[in-house]
Amino acid sequence: MAERRLIVLVSGVLLWGAAIFYTLVKLQIVHHREYAAIARARQEVVVPIPAPRGSIFDRTGSPLAMSVPVDTVHINPLKIDPIIAAGILSAKLHQDKNELYRRILAARDNRRGYLVVARNLGWEEGDDLSHLPVDGIALDRQSQRHYPKGALAAHVLGTVNFEGKGDAGVEQTLDQYLRGTPGAQRVLTDVQRRWIDTETAVAPKPGLPVTLTIDERLQFVAERELAAAAAAHGASSGSVVVMNPHTGEILALASYPVYDPNAPPEAANPPQRENHATGVPFEPGSVFKVITLSAALETTRLRPESIIDCGRGSITLFGRTIHEAHGGYGTIPMAQVLARSSNVGAIRVGMTVGQQNMYDYVRRFGFGQKTGVPLPGESRGRLRPLSRWSKVSLASVSMGQEISVTTVQLAQAASVVANGGLLVRPRLVLKIGDRTVNGDPPIRVVRPETAITMRQMMEGVVMPGGTGYPEARLEGYSVGGKTGSAQIYDPASHRYTHYYNGSFLGFAPLTNPAIVVVATLNGTHGNLGFGGRAAAPVFHAVAQEALRVLDVPKDIPEQAPVEVAAIKPAPSDLAIASLESLEPNILEEEGDEDADAPPAAAGPKVPDFRGKNMRAVLAQAASMGLSVLPDGSGIARVQFPPAGATLRQGERIRVRFAR
Amino acid sequence: MATQPNYAYRAGLGTAEELPRPRRRAFELRALPHESVFFYRKAIDNSRLVRESDPQSRGACWSAIGVAGIVVALLFGVLAPSVADTLSGYKLQSLRAEEQRLLDERRTLELAVAERLSPEHLARLAGRQNLVTPRSGQVLRLESDRPDSSVAMVK
Repeated sequence: MAERRLIVLVSGVLLWGAAIFYTLVKLQIVHHREYAAIARARQEVVVPIPAPRGSIFDRTGSPLAMSVPVDTVHINPLKIDPIIAAGILSAKLHQDKNELYRRILAARDNRRGYLVVARNLGWEEGDDLSHLPVDGIALDRQSQRHYPKGALAAHVLGTVNFEGKGDAGVEQTLDQYLRGTPGAQRVLTDVQRRWIDTETAVAPKPGLPVTLTIDERLQFVAERELAAAAAAHGASSGSVVVMNPHTGEILALASYPVYDPNAPPEAANPPQRENHATGVPFEPGSVFKVITLSAALETTRLRPESIIDCGRGSITLFGRTIHEAHGGYGTIPMAQVLARSSNVGAIRVGMTVGQQNMYDYVRRFGFGQKTGVPLPGESRGRLRPLSRWSKVSLASVSMGQEISVTTVQLAQAASVVANGGLLVRPRLVLKIGDRTVNGDPPIRVVRPETAITMRQMMEGVVMPGGTGYPEARLEGYSVGGKTGSAQIYDPASHRYTHYYNGSFLGFAPLTNPAIVVVATLNGTHGNLGFGGRAAAPVFHAVAQEALRVLDVPKDIPEQAPVEVAAIKPAPSDLAIASLESLEPNILEEEGDEDADAPPAAAGPKVPDFRGKNMRAVLAQAASMGLSVLPDGSGIARVQFPPAGATLRQGERIRVRFAR
Repeated sequence: MATQPNYAYRAGLGTAEELPRPRRRAFELRALPHESVFFYRKAIDNSRLVRESDPQSRGACWSAIGVAGIVVALLFGVLAPSVADTLSGYKLQSLRAEEQRLLDERRTLELAVAERLSPEHLARLAGRQNLVTPRSGQVLRLESDRPDSSVAMVK
């Protein structure tokens, strides 16, 4: 009996065990894949891996544009207690509690399960919120573009739109490199959705960093001086380009007016976003005479000493009369045609060159075509095909009319003269990632002798009697340049206005130019709006600073006395021509030739530095524009020249310090 | 209830106090009052019983304990790596999150440094300190291998 019960009991247990074993086999072997897939689907989450956008640096490695992570806080109003949420979030995010509570309630009433509470939180605030023991508050991590230098180089950098895609400047043209490719990862989570393990399914490709040729120090100086000159002369816009003539590297590209890419204007195509250095062509005026004379040196027998008959200050061609800005120059050497910016002389030279040669050299200097600088919306300028040149086109083009150019084209052309005759394409990008971006090979435009001769002639522009004297002269460096003052044409009235495009194109040092600087101001007026008065000071400030920053050795002896001639009103390089009409175009007199010349400048008096410390001495000297050579440390005891003496130009004051 | 004293009373033999009480035997417990239910206690003396030791069953018992311990150990050995793996996963993800947080913090700090080193900011600071841009001749480059006190250094 007992045995029978035992057998029944054991049989029951065995049956139970067999049932369990059968279930185990069915779950873990027969339906293994199916249940494993279900488990994986519940435990695994596919999470995108963001790819940060590449940063943009200047040539010294200083960041100009970078992306930082920001968080967007959102809640589910249907699942969270409004009072708790409003209380916690308003304290953390510094928002009005009642307002936030009202918003949450409104979302709940509208059955909305998603409500954004705050955007663009920094990592600290986001980290703080992520540790809150409250369900229903979620954070979305995004990337936001920042430009830490504010408006600096805004037209070069550009902006990105709400999708993170570049829509202006380098951000747009190099978007394919800057914009990374997001990846994806499979994340194994537990029941509370905490991550246990991750596996990268698709590796992200972060955006590549881009290094520009821009030097932020020079960019800052260029923008500062341009803004100051535009304000002083009432210019509506302007631009400055600083370029290395040998490599084509653009060290600064400034456009006025500016905007802050961190808060770009919202209007469609606002004027601040126009890049006046590359996208807005203008009639260059007399700066174009550099091209005319270069073509003459190349294709004719004219030399700097060749005599050009500039007549009594006017020339009549095909029923149209073109005047000089100030009187007549008579017969002068060709070098003086450039230095004094004679319109008649330039026309005579241009006519000697001929239409075909003039057109060829204009094209060879890069005009009428894009420079290839990687900025969107670059203009190729305007150069009529030779077949559409009128009878007066040669005369007009010879003095910089009937053609429109951009500032960067002028810089490219000036580089031809500065580097010995080679056309070097302007470059804006130094490196993409680790890869150095090389420029196009240079193209021979003029012979080296022609370039050297042009440099020497352009030095005359900044010497006494030249249109760029004394504003364009630099301390310690020889300079070559050309001024330009082109009247702005009004298409509505088909006449030229009394507003000018004042320009200065120059390079330094003359013997081995290290930089080319082109400055233009658009919409200036009056005598002070001419290139020599408006744009030349911008060139002076920018070039002086650029040569100091680049540590270019001086080529003018420090203590060489320079005669300080009487400063006369800058000779005007104004030119007028009608683009459409062959009617006689009488040049209206600008400026007052009978105005009294300002008194001759005298050297400054040496101040008394004795008894002052080093810092005070240097500060006072700098504020007065004087050079001091300190020796020793402590208090200034002896100085030479002595206090009250007249300082000669280029002379430095020696100060000995002792304790 | 039909207990004996009641039966006797009904039979007219007298009340419970009048009727002779039967002598209790040793195993009898006290009767319940007014009841004819009697409980009996049976004394059982098992002191002479001695459990015989069974080495076989003891061995089986210890074997069972040992097998159970081994099974537990085996289970532990099988499950422990998985548990440790999960715990390590938590730790690893925590470290990765920390790394990402530090990278984000670093990026934000780099941005702050870049803002403070912007030329405009430096120019503003220089203006407040009455500092001016040096001219070319005013820039003195100090040579590190030349501790020359005669070379001016403004701090």
